[in-house]
Amino acid sequence: MKKKLLLAMVSIMIASLFLAACSSGDEETKGSGEGDNKKDSLVYGRGGDSTSLDPITTTEGESYKVTINIFETLLTYGEQDTTLHPGLAEEWEASEDGLTYTLKLREDVKFHDGTDFNAEAVVFNFERWMNGNDEQFPYYSMFGGYKGDEGHVIKEVKAEDEYTVVFTLNRPQAPFLKNLAMSCFGIASPTALKEQGDDNFSKNPVGTGPFKFVEWKANDSIVLEKNEDYYVDGQPKLNQLIFKVIPDNSTRLNSLSTGEIDLMDGVNPTDLEKIKSDSNLQTIERPSMNVGYLGFNVTKKPYDNAKVRQALSHAVDKQAIIDSFYSGLAVPAKNPMPDSIEGYNDEISDYEYDLDKAKKLLAEAGYPDGFKSELWAIPVARPYIPEGNKIAQVIQESWGKIGVDVEIKTVDWATYLDQAAAGDYPAYMLGWTGDNGDPDNFLYTLLDKDSIGSNNYSHYANDKLHDVLIEAQTEVDQEKRNELYKQAQEIIHEDAPWIPLVHSTPLLAASADVSGFVPHPTGSDYFKNVEFK
Amino acid sequence: MAELARNTELQLDTKPKSPWIEAWVIFRRNRLAVVGLGIVIFFVLLAIFAPFIAPYGINEQDLSKRLLPPSADNWFGTDDFGRDILSRVIHGARISLWVGFFSVLGSVIIGALLGLIAGYYGGLIDTIISRFFDILLAFPSILLAIAIVSILGPSLQNALIAIAVINIPNFGRLIRSRVLSVKQEEYILAANAIGMSDGRIIFHHVLPNSITPIIVQGTLAIATAIIEAAALGFLGLGAQAPTPEWGKMLADAKGYLVQAPGTLFFPGLAIMLTVLGFNLLGDGLRDALDPKMKQQ
Repeated sequence: MKKKLLLAMVSIMIASLFLAACSSGDEETKGSGEGDNKKDSLVYGRGGDSTSLDPITTTEGESYKVTINIFETLLTYGEQDTTLHPGLAEEWEASEDGLTYTLKLREDVKFHDGTDFNAEAVVFNFERWMNGNDEQFPYYSMFGGYKGDEGHVIKEVKAEDEYTVVFTLNRPQAPFLKNLAMSCFGIASPTALKEQGDDNFSKNPVGTGPFKFVEWKANDSIVLEKNEDYYVDGQPKLNQLIFKVIPDNSTRLNSLSTGEIDLMDGVNPTDLEKIKSDSNLQTIERPSMNVGYLGFNVTKKPYDNAKVRQALSHAVDKQAIIDSFYSGLAVPAKNPMPDSIEGYNDEISDYEYDLDKAKKLLAEAGYPDGFKSELWAIPVARPYIPEGNKIAQVIQESWGKIGVDVEIKTVDWATYLDQAAAGDYPAYMLGWTGDNGDPDNFLYTLLDKDSIGSNNYSHYANDKLHDVLIEAQTEVDQEKRNELYKQAQEIIHEDAPWIPLVHSTPLLAASADVSGFVPHPTGSDYFKNVEFK
Repeated sequence: MAELARNTELQLDTKPKSPWIEAWVIFRRNRLAVVGLGIVIFFVLLAIFAPFIAPYGINEQDLSKRLLPPSADNWFGTDDFGRDILSRVIHGARISLWVGFFSVLGSVIIGALLGLIAGYYGGLIDTIISRFFDILLAFPSILLAIAIVSILGPSLQNALIAIAVINIPNFGRLIRSRVLSVKQEEYILAANAIGMSDGRIIFHHVLPNSITPIIVQGTLAIATAIIEAAALGFLGLGAQAPTPEWGKMLADAKGYLVQAPGTLFFPGLAIMLTVLGFNLLGDGLRDALDPKMKQQ
């Protein structure tokens, strides 16, 4: 009797296994769409929380995503590119020598706290940033230093009349206007800043944007509401905008299909088919302006040898990685910046996937039998590397074929960034999304010797490259600049401090009734025109 | 003739049989237990001869052959790296059995030692050791394992250690309770009376007479340990890539539930079968080794 019962239970268990596999399919058809009348509150699901809501205090994209809707910059970028458009300034003019810029401001703008927006407010903001230091504001990476520093680009910011601001520069800076349009230079209310002080302000931001700040629950959600007095009629269309943190990509997608959130970024490319088959959802592609790469610490043996780095570059099959883990939504990278950016050097031919060549180079470098090492895999899903651990496994396998035996390691995201910046990892994976569409924002920011300790995780220092990059910064003639950047890419290609892996097209998903959402290549999106159908 | 045959049979019966042979006779009558033993032997053989049986290597990637359904080339299909799932499941048997066996061995040795000392000496030592067991048991076992692995760092060895640690109190308490009753037996009192040393009494007389429940419990614990190792692997705290640990294979495959159910099904089936095997075997052993059953 007992045995029969046991047998019966075993067969039930096996049967339930099959049933469980079958039943998962029809779940997705339900959920979402049970919208009562017209919805006017949108929930944006994302992978991580903001670090600060005062944009100048950070360089991190999850913060800009929110602040771009609270603050506005003097100039703005195009809808899906980084061309210059009017923002808080309606007109701008540069002098012949590139040393003076005159900006004409809008006259009908008020901050959320009622303070008037005028030239004084702009001067107040710039004075605050210029008198800061590198622990307060990462202002120096755009404008070369702070007030009184030798490399500082801006000499003076002056209010000529109530709505005219004049910038005087110490030296010409080609990407000056593009820099002004970066999210971090959002103009904040002087009254609020004076009343609250820096620390408080980063938790209670006051700007001029289409949305007002309401509430921030750390690691959970940020709530914004409509700015009724916004100076463009009919904008914004939403009443409420909520940014919600859901770390896991698949969980976030589930929340989207159940209607808990309305829009999400960080969709796994492998989920593309699943979303497309669901009529309640739509996919949205963000224009690509990023690079995902595998970097070497060029100060660590054996990666201090350029031949070793070149050999390993020959042993990565980028196309296979793209086909497998990006659903084709990426192109192989051969330079540290994508081809949508001016000055891209298309004449460089990539280290093609060729294991024999790799082996030969490795032998020339003095490692005919390979070596043992570590490869640190990016621990979170980023738009440029959605599945770090899996890509690392593919690389581990192909490097194994040329005798390079790597152990894959990883650690939590914050520690990963800290340790990578400190140079603890012999080989690591990371990526970068451009802020302003200028080559300087890739090459200088990521690979110049000035950036060691911040974004130059490879600790790559090349004086020749440094000279070229600095010259390109001060050169105003775009043609000549492009030539210099092409030269820079050749130097980098030869030294191979990185293996550039891909330029990906980040994927977003929304419920089908969201309209007017236009994703921006920088990763910070406007919600002025977003509404529910 | 018939008379004679019965006589010999009777003669055989009077000869005292070894208790192990007696247990085997009982065990053999339990068909489910034999099935369990068969499954366990099957997986043990699979584990020992994995490199010879597996058609492919564990990390032979072929990205052009991703997520294929079962076919003549790949009986269980391929995973998201185009690796042969059959080969990985076969190699996975090595890892799961290794973790299961050695973690239980570790907890048996430490648990039995502590249990023997606690039960035999009693008093303050007993209180200290028993409270230590209580503390360990106060945590949900998998949570304690996660905590231990987080401290030691994620790897297969550390998962093994964690699983061994969380199982110590089970064996410790089992042995202790056995020792308490064995201690009262006449032969132990006699041994004491003739002045035998404690060590000799514990290891030569108490331990052998307390060991059977450990064998039963140990077999069942291997099943639990395999599940715990798989759980840790699933959470990314056990075996690291590209080790073909079954739990890790499940975790890697969970994104492909709809696209390629095979990637999830076969490692899951392997876990289920081994655990079932050990459980059936353990149940059978309990029946066979239980002195109360012997009388029947």
